[in-house]
Amino acid sequence: MRTKLTPANRLVWFPTLLVLLACVAVDAQAADAKFQVFLLWGTDDSKPPEGKAYKPVQPEIRQKLKELPLKWANWFEVNRVDFAVQQGVTKEVPISAKCQVNVKKLADSELELCLVGKGKEVVKRKQSLPKGEMLVLGGNAPNSTAWLVLLKRIE
Amino acid sequence: MDYDKQLKLQALLDGELPEAEASAVAQWLAQDHEAAALREELRNTRGALAEFEAGIQMPESREFFWSKVQREIERLETPAAKPASAPFSALWRRFLVPASAVAALIIAGVVLNRPDSTGHTPAAEIETALADSGAFTYRDYSAGTTLVWLSYPADTEVADNDEMGTVE
Amino acid sequence: MTDKDQSSADDKTLVRASQQGDMAAFEELVARHRDRIFARAYSMMRNEEEAVDLSQEAWVKGWQRLRQFQGDSSFGTWMTRVVINLCLDQLRKQKRQRTESIEAMDEESGGVERQMPVVTVNPTAGLEREELRQRIDRALGLLSYEHRTVLVLHEFEDMEYKEIARTMGCSIGTVMSRLFYARRKLAVLLADIKNQDLL
Repeated sequence: MRTKLTPANRLVWFPTLLVLLACVAVDAQAADAKFQVFLLWGTDDSKPPEGKAYKPVQPEIRQKLKELPLKWANWFEVNRVDFAVQQGVTKEVPISAKCQVNVKKLADSELELCLVGKGKEVVKRKQSLPKGEMLVLGGNAPNSTAWLVLLKRIE
Repeated sequence: MDYDKQLKLQALLDGELPEAEASAVAQWLAQDHEAAALREELRNTRGALAEFEAGIQMPESREFFWSKVQREIERLETPAAKPASAPFSALWRRFLVPASAVAALIIAGVVLNRPDSTGHTPAAEIETALADSGAFTYRDYSAGTTLVWLSYPADTEVADNDEMGTVE
Repeated sequence: MTDKDQSSADDKTLVRASQQGDMAAFEELVARHRDRIFARAYSMMRNEEEAVDLSQEAWVKGWQRLRQFQGDSSFGTWMTRVVINLCLDQLRKQKRQRTESIEAMDEESGGVERQMPVVTVNPTAGLEREELRQRIDRALGLLSYEHRTVLVLHEFEDMEYKEIARTMGCSIGTVMSRLFYARRKLAVLLADIKNQDLL
């Protein structure tokens, strides 16, 4: 037998639920935000270049890249870094010898990302990035290939 | 007729048969009337198809079609505000009105007490400050993915480098 | 770029201008190639409304991906590849929603094309262009999407077997066999249409 939710009950339960949710929200704000950053290489070739042991990207990421307006058939993982950032702090994350990303956690799901290539700031962007979402920066590379820096929020 | 031979005949017609095999198929064609008839049938079908697409025209006028394309391009390039969900609004009205005052107080408390050293407005979902003026942004709301395509590294810079240019 | 410049400019110039964000240049490219892109979509989809929608989507994607176009092929060829990929995605989605076609079952149950008698009289000989187009249109509509697609990619897109195999995600052997079946079936269908019209 199901208990009927009367208007009086609702007055008690919903505010209680909201208070609990608010507590969780306050707690979440204080926690570190966890990210994964990937350096990827896009090509129409089915194999990575000779002498490079790049692995194909994870299926989940491959699927998401497939949905973007990108022409390349295959994506290989050149590097991957897991890191966490506290609110208000900027984390510098090297992803290759020439390239790094600086990630600053602003508020809630917001962050500021700066891509630095050969010591120069290439792009700076403020972006809302809730858990599970991805920010992809990319450009053309030689021989009709492409590079991508993919930032994924995991927590 | 041997099926493999039939496929080879087709490959010969399409210019995809290696030279080494072509003479054997040509010899077979010269001796076998049925094979020659099949070649004629395949040729006729190819000939019939040759002009098919030339007669097909877009049924919409240049201006009308372009206006649709242009509107869609502009819509995708402008990050749209997410529309409010009607069922959620209905639910809100039905069940949460009595709790709204309490919720508002809690949410206001959370927002006012939040340590925000940056001073920027959280409501602004995306804000770009691009050093690369040639960049463009594509947002897939359903997948939760944002793509920023950059003109970096410049073509000349890329040409001087291996594989991934200035990034790797 | 003025209107006059645009209409006299070649595709490469218009592509470069479009890559810099010149929408008017892109409009000129759309105007030049829209019939070809629509025709390719129509050949694959067999539905005018769907072909218009997919052509539109292809042009929007073309604009978004324009910076990736590096001139390895002509702009027209590049755009037809965009629309072909969209059509293939759409056809695969539709295929998931319906049962296998009789033609596909025929093919898998032992290669009926081997049993089909050779059509010795050219069923389209002497036809006016419009009449021929209509008959081919009807016949193509009776093929399964796999057979029609392989035919379109080979005959209209001039793709080689290996390129078709890559595009459709199958082996070269499957491409050859599908192409052979599609051609033979088309010949039989055109002969049937001719006979029906004579009755």
